[in-house]
Amino acid sequence: MKASEVFVLVSIIVFIFSLAYITSLGGLGQLPPVNVRVLAQRYLELTWNPLKPFMSSSGYESVTAIVWDFRGLDTFFETAVFYGAIIAAIAIYRGVKITGKGKTIGMSPIARTITRLSIVLIPTVAASIALHGHLTPGGGFQAGSVATVVAVLIIMVFGRKAIIRKGLTKSRILLLRSLGLLGIGFTAVALLLAAIALGVNAYIFQNQPKPFAPLGFPKIYDGMILGGSLLLFNFFEFIAVTAGFTLVLLLLSLDEKDVRKVVVEK
Amino acid sequence: MNLRSAIPAMILSFIIYIIYTGSVSPYDLITGVIVAVIVGLLAGEIVVKDPGKALDPKRLAYLVKYTFWYFFVAEVKAHADVIKRALSPKMPLNPAIVRVPYYVETDYAMTTIANSITNTPGTVVVDIDPDRKIFYVHWIDAKTSDPGEARKMISLEFEENAKKIFD
Repeated sequence: MKASEVFVLVSIIVFIFSLAYITSLGGLGQLPPVNVRVLAQRYLELTWNPLKPFMSSSGYESVTAIVWDFRGLDTFFETAVFYGAIIAAIAIYRGVKITGKGKTIGMSPIARTITRLSIVLIPTVAASIALHGHLTPGGGFQAGSVATVVAVLIIMVFGRKAIIRKGLTKSRILLLRSLGLLGIGFTAVALLLAAIALGVNAYIFQNQPKPFAPLGFPKIYDGMILGGSLLLFNFFEFIAVTAGFTLVLLLLSLDEKDVRKVVVEK
Repeated sequence: MNLRSAIPAMILSFIIYIIYTGSVSPYDLITGVIVAVIVGLLAGEIVVKDPGKALDPKRLAYLVKYTFWYFFVAEVKAHADVIKRALSPKMPLNPAIVRVPYYVETDYAMTTIANSITNTPGTVVVDIDPDRKIFYVHWIDAKTSDPGEARKMISLEFEENAKKIFD
């Protein structure tokens, strides 16, 4: 056995044991005992609790309930920061034309054929992650990240210009992203607007009816768990994230020459 | 948007949706149909060139038959062969890259052959020349360098099936 092989073997063993030790140790000093982690208990108890309708959320999935309901406002600001970054990227590239004209070379016909098929498969899986986010692990951001893989594949396999030739121009992607963001904003205040019209009380980011605020998004219909506002947030976030990531990828894949022409010389 | 090409894409999308969610509750059936219709309309033309072929039950039957034969016969044979080579103290290897021609027309048939070759242990398609219709295949035990003979040993069965399914 060579010295380098021994080194690899030893480092794998050391890595596995230290990982096991760290995770079983949990930390240093006084750790809270398992039975007093009250916040976690509350989340698990209230995510789906028909006995406490005023305090519970509207789906089975605790993480989605926390992200879009229990601390929905926090997520809203996180989303705003994310889109602020994307808007900044667009602003840096302002004036740079993204056209579908010119030759693309792309990869082999084998890669092209498989990628064609994945244009059906990946968005389908992404949509199921978004629309199932209130029932099983997943959600809008995860779904959008999955759907973005389609853009990566098209840029790699067919060439960047192919995306634009397929009709996904910069302005259309921007429109999709804006629709997603508007949807998130509208869902956050929809019950408030309805309450003004009906003359009752409501909160921003309200999902289910509360004491003295009787409005709520549909939770169950004919035995189907609809997830209230969670489903809407996940859906709109899915669209906004897909469009945002795709746009940034498209900008990053631009040719340096074209970018310099506008950004540096003008 | 071509409605006829959209239908096979919709069916594929719906099946994948149901498999991925792992449930046939009314909620999943309804959302599955909505997603399938949208994906099918947007991607149909990219995926399906000849909708009549895609919906031909005879071709589908061949596809199912080939899938089972490939995974339970061809794959098992190839794995057994490579395991034997890996465990044998003599390491009987005779690697080479050989030319393997193919005689199918559609991209789907060609891709099926190429992926069938690559996915069986012992042979990997490393390059393709679509103009001359030749795969360059890395072969763990190159029994011949003659393209016609190599095709008979490596890809003939794959090709016959791919032709029935896609061409």
